[in-house]
Amino acid sequence: MSGITVDDRTLVLGIETSCDETAAALVMGGYDIVSSAVSTQVDLHAEFGGVVPEIASRAHLDLLNPMIARAIVEAGVGEERIDAVACTVGPGLIGALLVGVSAAKALALTWGVPFVGVNHMEAHLYAAFLEDPTLEFPLVVLLVSGGHTMLIEMQDHGRYRLLGQTIDDAAGEAFDKVARFLGLGYPGGPAIDREALQGDPEAIAFPRAMLHDGLDFSFSGLKTSVMNHVRKHPDVSAADVAASFQAAVVDVLVAKARRAAEAVGARGLVLGGGVAANSLLRERFLSVCTEGGIRGFLPSREMCTDNAAMIAAAGWHRLRADGPTALDAGAYPNLRLPLLP
Amino acid sequence: MLILGIETATQQVSVAIGGHEGVLGMFEVSRGRRHAETLIPAVEFLCAQADVQIDEFGAIAVDIGPGLFTGMRVGLAAGKAMAQALRIPMIGISSLDLLAFPLRHADRTIAAVIDARKGELFYAFYKPVPGGVQRVTEPVVGRAADLAADLMARGQNVVCVGDGALRYREEIAGGAACDFAEQFLAHPSAAPLVQLAHARALREEWVNPWEIQPLYLRAPDAQINWSTRESAR
Ligand SMILES: [Zn+2]
Repeated sequence: MSGITVDDRTLVLGIETSCDETAAALVMGGYDIVSSAVSTQVDLHAEFGGVVPEIASRAHLDLLNPMIARAIVEAGVGEERIDAVACTVGPGLIGALLVGVSAAKALALTWGVPFVGVNHMEAHLYAAFLEDPTLEFPLVVLLVSGGHTMLIEMQDHGRYRLLGQTIDDAAGEAFDKVARFLGLGYPGGPAIDREALQGDPEAIAFPRAMLHDGLDFSFSGLKTSVMNHVRKHPDVSAADVAASFQAAVVDVLVAKARRAAEAVGARGLVLGGGVAANSLLRERFLSVCTEGGIRGFLPSREMCTDNAAMIAAAGWHRLRADGPTALDAGAYPNLRLPLLP
Repeated sequence: MLILGIETATQQVSVAIGGHEGVLGMFEVSRGRRHAETLIPAVEFLCAQADVQIDEFGAIAVDIGPGLFTGMRVGLAAGKAMAQALRIPMIGISSLDLLAFPLRHADRTIAAVIDARKGELFYAFYKPVPGGVQRVTEPVVGRAADLAADLMARGQNVVCVGDGALRYREEIAGGAACDFAEQFLAHPSAAPLVQLAHARALREEWVNPWEIQPLYLRAPDAQINWSTRESAR
């Protein structure tokens, strides 16, 4: 299997089961989405207000085969055209990851094609390339999700430098916790986003933690001040709290992203991760890019949230750079992004 | 017809190839608990050594549990993916059936008992019948004391088999008339899996890969994972 050619005709099946989305996709040449099927389990977890690992694993086992079948049918190509199978091996929920990894390795063995283990965070970095292959390095990526808040400099394919990250809660985690506290439901991101539309973002001056201080983030103090404010003012409008909280998070995210892009002389600034679906963040992101004369790139909401096209794309790049992953690979729940020293 | 058997429901990983000539080859390892790492290389190795091409399989048999959820799903996910890619049917067999089957020549009732962790057991009773065993109770989850009470109520000599039986030997044996099968029979194995599956295949008792369902017997533990959660929107 070694010595395979990886070029713009190489068709990769991507598989993603790291959290609460079951997804499969076919991507050609690392950039061209041929098909992408995603099934979200959000309704299964809603009543618990968070992702329940065992429920997620059970659902992945039920949903993965139909997603793979759908991706292949929608692509309109025969399975024999598939050149490699890429799958998220981490980070994520161990039981959930293992469903995808086991299926992906089984498919690779059955079809006699290479298997490629993909780092989910690296795949998020590649999501933007699927929609704009003309992006040029160095790029700065602001990656915001339920588990991560990071500023990454992409110097080249596979060459990443960490510019800043959260020192406590991830931004998405803060959204979930505040939404839960305000009784707005789950998942917190879209719930706050909706509620904030009715509120005044300047109603309450929540702190902008570490705004002028380096490129790291902190959201746990903000979450605490939201809770304190609501306890002190029980009749406050939930919409005003949501809008003011969201504005505080977004202010810090975009200010630091812009500063990071300027610091490294980036040729582009990219937004990624599940929280990148937030409408205020999308709007403010584009306006700071315009103000700073930076080329901003905002992937579609489908590419920001978990999907398998980004896994296939990252898999194509990894296959080209490193070759196949051995079939005795496992799943690595705490896998980190490979960073330059 | 050649059948690939995949068994990952306990701490063991077991793979076998069988057909009308019986078991043609088997790979089994019960230490390490690296189900996901071991399973696919084991299938690859076994096929190569038994000189079987993957597209020669006519069905895939899997242990559907009860057992350890994460391990069980490794075998199910791999088996379902292979069956879907090969467009062949699947045969699901319970881990408890697999434990009881090697004791089919016993002269009494068999209790198949799997360690369910958290102080619990998965178990069911079987009776030997010509050519095999027949399950006489529904598989249940319970404590060792529950099984001991069931054994006493039967008031007959029973042979207990499985890692759960050995782990809770003292509690189970307290007062009840029972014997314990040996350690080498303590895990369900892919060899009886392909034997039982072959008999079912002859009767075309199989399902499509998207229809096969694991036997969990226990509701999911609804503990939320905030820290490893990655994709909030
Ligand atoms: Zn993600």
